[in-house]
Amino acid sequence: MKNRLKVLRAERNWSQQDLAQRLEVSRQSVNAIETGRYDPSLPLAFRIAALFEMPIEAIFAPD
Amino acid sequence: MTAEVTGRGGRSRWFWAGMMFASFGAIAALRITDAIGEPTGFILLACAMLLIIPLTRAGLAHQRTTGHLSPAVVRYTRRFTVASLGYMLGLGIAITLNERMEVSGAGAFAIALLPVLPIFAMIWAMARYLIEEDDEFLRHRATMASLFGLGLVLAVGSFWGFLETFGVVPHVWAWWTFPAWAIGMGIAQCWMSWRDRAGAES
Repeated sequence: MKNRLKVLRAERNWSQQDLAQRLEVSRQSVNAIETGRYDPSLPLAFRIAALFEMPIEAIFAPD
Repeated sequence: MTAEVTGRGGRSRWFWAGMMFASFGAIAALRITDAIGEPTGFILLACAMLLIIPLTRAGLAHQRTTGHLSPAVVRYTRRFTVASLGYMLGLGIAITLNERMEVSGAGAFAIALLPVLPIFAMIWAMARYLIEEDDEFLRHRATMASLFGLGLVLAVGSFWGFLETFGVVPHVWAWWTFPAWAIGMGIAQCWMSWRDRAGAES
């Protein structure tokens, strides 16, 4: 699954650690999602969408 | 590239792991050559096992900086370290009793439990970690590593069993399954860490 996490994070000038703290996950989790090595669960995807105040499909898209 | 992080003693986890394995090797060599007796060997082995404490501290310090440290990881590490020390103690007592006494029946059963109960504790610690870990990516990694270890045990165990049946290889005790599983899990964790680092750098 593709995602815009890195772009959205950069727009807010957040580091991976900043985003990880806001999502209450490890920095490695953010890194793995950003680089496409791990697809988040639906609950985590909803948390990400809520944090960026965007619908899930505006952040994640199928390959 | 992430610099190697050290524990309170200022040494990296690789240093302490190297020290521990070098100590085990030296003690084994001294025992094989009969330079030291069995009680001395066991005391030295128990002392060498204490190196797991600085190794654990350095490992936690490294995990803290790589973003792998969670409260569940800290609890798991503490439980696994205590179980490892219990295993060494139980193993030493069991071997000593086995060599000095004629054990059979219920006695043998009880002595066999000495090193096995800490192994049960290690398996329980792993299960608790998977239950308590809130970070789904870390839980996923631990699950994948555990499954890789299980796959290694099943594959090697089955192959070895048939080779043994056909008289190609010597007999191997079944208690090797747990160390083999742990080795498989370690290999998988190392591979995933390397892959994560490579992904982060690209």
